Amino acid sequence: MASKAVKNLSRRSFLKFVGGTAGLVGISLNLTGCGDPATADEAIGGNGWMPTQYNAPGNWPTNVRGRVPIDPANPAIVRDDQKCILCGQCIEVCERIQSVFGNYELPIKKDFVCVNCGQCIQWCPSGAISERDDINKVFKALADPNVTVVVQTAPATRIGLGEEFGMPVGTNVQGKQVAALRKLGFDVVFDTNFTADLTIMEEGTELVKRVTGELHHPIPQMTSCCPGWVKFVEYFYPELIPNLSSAKSPQQMEGALIKTYFAEKKEVDPKKIFSVSIMPCTAKKFECQRPEMNSASKELNDSNVSPDVDVVLTTRELARMIKRAGIDFASLPEEEYDKLMGTGTGAGVIFGTTGGVMEAAVRSAYFLITGQQPPAALWNLTPVRGMQGVKEAAVNIPGVGDVKVAVISGLANARKVMDQMKAGNAPWAFMEIMACPGGCEYGGGQPRASSPPSDEDRNRRAASLYNIDAKAKLRNSHDNPEIKQIYADFLTAPMSEKAEELLHTHYVSRADDFIPKKSEDKKIF
Amino acid sequence: MAKGVLVDIPKCIGCESCSVACKLWNELEWDEQEKNKTAVDRAKEPNNGLWPEEWTSINRFDLEKDGESVARYVKTQCMHCEDPACVSSCFSKAFQKLPEGPVIYDQSLCVGCRYCMMACPFDILRYEWKKAIPGVRKCQMCATRVANNQETACTSVCPTGAITFGDREELLAEAKKRIKEHGYVDRVFGEKEAGGTSWLYISDTPFEQMRFRTDVTTKPLPSYTEGYMKATPFVGVGWAAILAGLYVYNNKGKEPLD
Amino acid sequence: MELVTTVLSKAGAKKSTVKWKFKMTPMRWVFAGIAAAAIAVILVRFVLGLGATTNLNDQWPWGLWISFDVLLGVALAGGGYGTALIVYVLRRDKFYPIARSAMLTSLLGYIVVVLGLLIEVGQWFNFWRPYVSWGHASVLFEVFWCISCYTVIQILEFCEVGTEKVFKGAHKYLKKAMPVMLIIGITLPTLHQSSLGQLFYLMVGKVNPLWWTAFLPVFFLLSSFFVGAGMIVIESTLAGKALNHKVEVPVLRGLVKISAGAMILYLMLKITDMVVRGTFANAFAFDLPGIMFLCELFFGVIIPIIIAFSSLSSTRKGLIWFGILTVSGVVMNRFDVLFTGMGKYLNQHGGSYVPALSEFVVSLGLVSIACLAYLFIAENFNILGHHGSEHADDTEIKAGKYASTAK
Repeated sequence: MASKAVKNLSRRSFLKFVGGTAGLVGISLNLTGCGDPATADEAIGGNGWMPTQYNAPGNWPTNVRGRVPIDPANPAIVRDDQKCILCGQCIEVCERIQSVFGNYELPIKKDFVCVNCGQCIQWCPSGAISERDDINKVFKALADPNVTVVVQTAPATRIGLGEEFGMPVGTNVQGKQVAALRKLGFDVVFDTNFTADLTIMEEGTELVKRVTGELHHPIPQMTSCCPGWVKFVEYFYPELIPNLSSAKSPQQMEGALIKTYFAEKKEVDPKKIFSVSIMPCTAKKFECQRPEMNSASKELNDSNVSPDVDVVLTTRELARMIKRAGIDFASLPEEEYDKLMGTGTGAGVIFGTTGGVMEAAVRSAYFLITGQQPPAALWNLTPVRGMQGVKEAAVNIPGVGDVKVAVISGLANARKVMDQMKAGNAPWAFMEIMACPGGCEYGGGQPRASSPPSDEDRNRRAASLYNIDAKAKLRNSHDNPEIKQIYADFLTAPMSEKAEELLHTHYVSRADDFIPKKSEDKKIF
Repeated sequence: MAKGVLVDIPKCIGCESCSVACKLWNELEWDEQEKNKTAVDRAKEPNNGLWPEEWTSINRFDLEKDGESVARYVKTQCMHCEDPACVSSCFSKAFQKLPEGPVIYDQSLCVGCRYCMMACPFDILRYEWKKAIPGVRKCQMCATRVANNQETACTSVCPTGAITFGDREELLAEAKKRIKEHGYVDRVFGEKEAGGTSWLYISDTPFEQMRFRTDVTTKPLPSYTEGYMKATPFVGVGWAAILAGLYVYNNKGKEPLD
Repeated sequence: MELVTTVLSKAGAKKSTVKWKFKMTPMRWVFAGIAAAAIAVILVRFVLGLGATTNLNDQWPWGLWISFDVLLGVALAGGGYGTALIVYVLRRDKFYPIARSAMLTSLLGYIVVVLGLLIEVGQWFNFWRPYVSWGHASVLFEVFWCISCYTVIQILEFCEVGTEKVFKGAHKYLKKAMPVMLIIGITLPTLHQSSLGQLFYLMVGKVNPLWWTAFLPVFFLLSSFFVGAGMIVIESTLAGKALNHKVEVPVLRGLVKISAGAMILYLMLKITDMVVRGTFANAFAFDLPGIMFLCELFFGVIIPIIIAFSSLSSTRKGLIWFGILTVSGVVMNRFDVLFTGMGKYLNQHGGSYVPALSEFVVSLGLVSIACLAYLFIAENFNILGHHGSEHADDTEIKAGKYASTAK
């Protein structure tokens, strides 16, 4: 009957249906292997590569790990992560050659320690790390007809810039650089060599005063023209800050003078001056925005005057500007700097290499102490020349005796000597310290070679600088006529009140920015 | 033995070597917008720095500690839970927990329902909304490297040892040791959170201030719905039997309806 | 419009002709328009992806399409199983007149849910994976299997009706299998309606305690059951107007009372849940979640209960209000579980989600398609007027008509 049929159908067929289907499903599932657990290669990703040093079993040691940290707010250095291949060269140079990375205890406080020297830029093989590009700021100023754009060029750029245009390492392109700058539209082209000479006058005078006891500041006096080195002292050796010369770097001296001396003499409104410097250095980008580097504004009591140096461009950036403007660099004529602050002596130009500041200083110290011109030996002070990390010399000055001097380049070398100094073992009167190995000629802003930085290239560039010095008519800073003129017309005398205002500075301790490393050999990893 | 990673937050200097290593090893794409973000930006945004092509993110938090301003960098990525919610939530088994520890994703099995994203207790999963054929994206803990007895790409490149790879139990013991030794916050984040995770965090600043989900349950998430799923077949068969009985009873002696 | 289809035998002789009709009214043009727009958006979705056609993001991976198409759609389509239970299993024959239309609504609702899901998921072509790759710990696994199987069952159940008009040979086999299909067709919805609620249980700590409870499956199940009556009232009223057919008040009233009974159980369990978990303070916190929660209960449950057990339910107006309020209550509830319930957690770091216009177009488009299909089927098959209605279609062979003609 209908209902029975329905009843049978519902129970039997239902159970048949369930049992049969479930069995069928179960078998087919096992056949399709749905029960197999997954294996690692089914995961997405994982098909890329890593530098070979990292493809080792778990805890095998490697020589180098990772890379340096770079603050996105770093005024001088930026990094394009897409280009980073984790080779670790930046860490190698920062930790071993500069002894900055890792010289603190963890945790960091607010920011990690960086002196902006830019050696990481020079050692990065893929060009991931580079200078912060400020070209557009300069192009903007150049395009503004109401602004007088004044530029100064560092000693080392004239023997590096040519390399960006295919010339051999160290080619002297001083004249072409000036021509290029004028063609780009810079209104006034000055030479930092001028203030290099001025630095010698100021710092040499300061040294004499320290030695005679007129200035109650400790000996040895250490140079302060390298902002990377200065920051290094501020971080790691704040107790040695009194040993740093109070003189500013040539760049900053020139910047301050552009907005005061130049502005006054040429009747240009300082508020309308845009001051640019071409530097082999990335730390200069940090230096120019240090809060105390606005002496012109303070001196003129006008807050609308912008900092002494508005923008620092590295040699590489200048090369890019020249290329972007379509200027054929190689065929440019040789041009001269503008007068007033465009003359530099051989002593000034050798600032660009390690030992150069010392040699220049010694030439003028001799003069300042004895009133006599220095002997020829001081025009070739070989003990302070060359790429050795720590060099010493003894210079005989009549009436004083042997003056011991030291020349250091590379911050790890400086650290060793500073530790020695703290221990009381510092027989020198005067010390030149440069953060970058070899000095400014291979600074963070100089052209990159296709091979890692080498002493061979450093020596080529150094040789070029010494060659310019050898051929120069004037080889002593104190003989520079524009130097005599600025003291006569404007500054009165070295370390005068005006000179103190414009050409000298002070430093800050950065020791509280980090926790100092407790023991020498405890690595942070 | 199950592997894990110990993240010692105070040791991180924010170099982002790990981030680059992850990009290299997993061939992740670079995006201009992401490249321009800083660690501070990423810590503040809703996505926490994690995107389909950003499987890890270093996020910077500026905090007060002992009256001083300090910065802490926190590496963020999938926690590779011991008993993952994503694995449990995936109805096509696209997510699986490997015995070595990594929780991996197989896009070929994924239907794209995004239940895993709703389920993840750490809101880690990211979806490829812009693609026509989208997948779920997250750190895979370098499953093939781990299977080959190597450490993950990120841990291999860390210059300070802020992240270390190893046996989870050993790392947990090390974590506790460091907490005592350095006076860190007395909590290993990941020890019990979500039932325990492969990635363990220790810190000298409060976790709540660094966008950690400190109130997450300590019960493994799958346990919340396990019982329900286990009961389902019985409920189903039982209810069907009752209905069959009711049907037969109520239709006895009646004309069947159309 | 009218359409005649003719089935020819291999030899070319007519076997049967069937007349199809479909009246185009302004409302149906609106439906068609929205449906067309939705189809356009759907095409764009498949070509360009979800990011181009939705505002979904990593904080809100589930949005309008999940809450409306799936959660709400399945709930409102739940009238079918409730009807099947009451009419076919418990043999409350009084409600026979609405059985077929309720089950049609349910079928169309589920088909549209399945279509919506295929559009919603990222890799639709992988839809078959869970059949062979069993993620059986997942509540969604159960939802997937039950919804897909139930849709098949419903299609088969409808074929039993459909084969009264076409493919008549299959009719007797389908009729024999009906009891089995009916029982499965009640079991499966019981499982998946509750599971849709249980889905949220895994999102521990993300959902407001007002909605996050171990009782989630029970609440979803009960509400899917009692909303059936509301839907039947509304849909039979609307369809009745469109197709000139009214369902008797006593039938509707009876349904409404059964529904209200379930609502009372729901309310008691809700209050028990609130007491046990201590969430009374949350309900009366006078913040958005609290207010929404109270509205759900007051307008969607309490007032309908009052209507049901008073003389208001003896009037058409009262019944319609019951329907509107009940359905609104469930709409609110499904949206609340996702949006109100999870909004605070998901937005805590600056996330946000407002559905895009294209999302609304698709959701409404799917509803429009379902309505158009319902109207077409109701006009052409024996759905309404079950008790010998005036709309039984003419299936006699008309002499002289060979080919298909459209008028």
